[in-house]
Amino acid sequence: MLSNFLSYIVQGTGVTIAVTLIALPFGLLIGLLLALLYNYGNRWVARSAGIYSLLMRGVPPIVLLFILYFILSGRLINLSPFWAGSLSLGLVSSAYQMEILRGALAAVGAGQMTAARAIGLTRLQAIRYVILPQAIRLAIPPWSNEASIVLKDSSLVYALGVPEILRRAQQLSATTGQPFLAFGAAALIYFCLVFLTNRALDYLAEKTKLPTQPV
Amino acid sequence: MKRLWLWFSLVLVLSLLLASCGQNAGGSRLKAIQQAGVIKVGTSADYPPFEFVDANGNTTGFDVELMNEIGKRLGVKVEWVDMPFDSLIAGVQEGKIDAAIAAFNYSEDRDKVVDFSDVYYTSEDAFTVVEGSSLTINDPAQDLLSLKLGVQTGTTQDDWLTALVDEGKLPADNLARYDRVDQIALDLKNGRIDVMMSDAVPAEALAKQLGGLKVIYKGVLSSGPMNIVLPEGEADLAKAINEILAQLKAEGFIENLAIKYFAE
Repeated sequence: MLSNFLSYIVQGTGVTIAVTLIALPFGLLIGLLLALLYNYGNRWVARSAGIYSLLMRGVPPIVLLFILYFILSGRLINLSPFWAGSLSLGLVSSAYQMEILRGALAAVGAGQMTAARAIGLTRLQAIRYVILPQAIRLAIPPWSNEASIVLKDSSLVYALGVPEILRRAQQLSATTGQPFLAFGAAALIYFCLVFLTNRALDYLAEKTKLPTQPV
Repeated sequence: MKRLWLWFSLVLVLSLLLASCGQNAGGSRLKAIQQAGVIKVGTSADYPPFEFVDANGNTTGFDVELMNEIGKRLGVKVEWVDMPFDSLIAGVQEGKIDAAIAAFNYSEDRDKVVDFSDVYYTSEDAFTVVEGSSLTINDPAQDLLSLKLGVQTGTTQDDWLTALVDEGKLPADNLARYDRVDQIALDLKNGRIDVMMSDAVPAEALAKQLGGLKVIYKGVLSSGPMNIVLPEGEADLAKAINEILAQLKAEGFIENLAIKYFAE
């Protein structure tokens, strides 16, 4: 009976991973776009991006999740709790990812843009071929932090009725009366996931490091 | 100018919120359910023996089996949606689920926003303490006032105790609210609270399962008749479900379920 239960929690791992794999890239896409707009857009565009980030980061993720859920899963757009939860989590994360990328873009010296323009690249080309490849590399270590936060925050989607690891641990705790076992198993799974994610991204950062890049 | 942008975004957010809060379009929910062949039912599967997850990971329990039978007789499949208990009413209200069954008791506050089916079972409240405790409760409204109490958020027991707090009888610090009933039982065992107030059936199940706990009082205070939560104003759906409930009662189906799950 116990092994059945543990496998029940492990099945939730798939849901947790799926939510994270949707939320992270979705947040990255929006975050990158906003970071570029913030750094290179005209002042109104930049200001809007700044306000977006301010609002999204100023509200606890769970509150945003509920608000976005009721918009994304309303009458106009009707997504399942799984998709609504994953995309909402991605939107929450996009503001943080924007800040990470904004910092990374700024960390590539302003002289690079001037130099790129001087050899005849347009602004877009300079961003695409000179600035961005360096900025993305710089962003990997802080981004790995965000990746583990999103992975752990994926437990919030339970509030919308998506049965991931945490919820399954709660049910198991309620049925067996062994909370330590149930939550211990959940903690172990989360830890392994976060550990593996961070290790993989460390490896990626090391592999893609430029010779010019400080350690 | 900075101000302007802030206001603009606030208005945007608020209008999106309002746009998403409207009522569902008219029409019979029953027809929609029958067309889809599926009724979405919300529950909170952490409340054995009413609703819980069994060793194979299936949602089951008294409420669950009852609802599955109702679905069968409606000719539709029941799709279970597991949610936190205090999100269920909002879920029905917003139309995310077609019904909710989770040992709900009728209350006037709830009736303002959702409808209730006929009664399918009558429950009692219970007070649970640690084994070896010499506490006795004869008149709950009096005897509880100096004790530390634990209750599940959003339940009728919560309302009942909160009313005591509002009347100034029970000090607010004496009342601890929990997300789930098993958390209360654990805090009770750990000595953080003196008494747990809950439905009698889960109280006895927990006492048996965790050990070291005993139920010292049973009676109808806050709970009582249990009903299925249905969307406001869906008379067809309510009528269909009530007819099936009447059949199930007449056939002894509910009584057999109670024997199976509550060993009465």
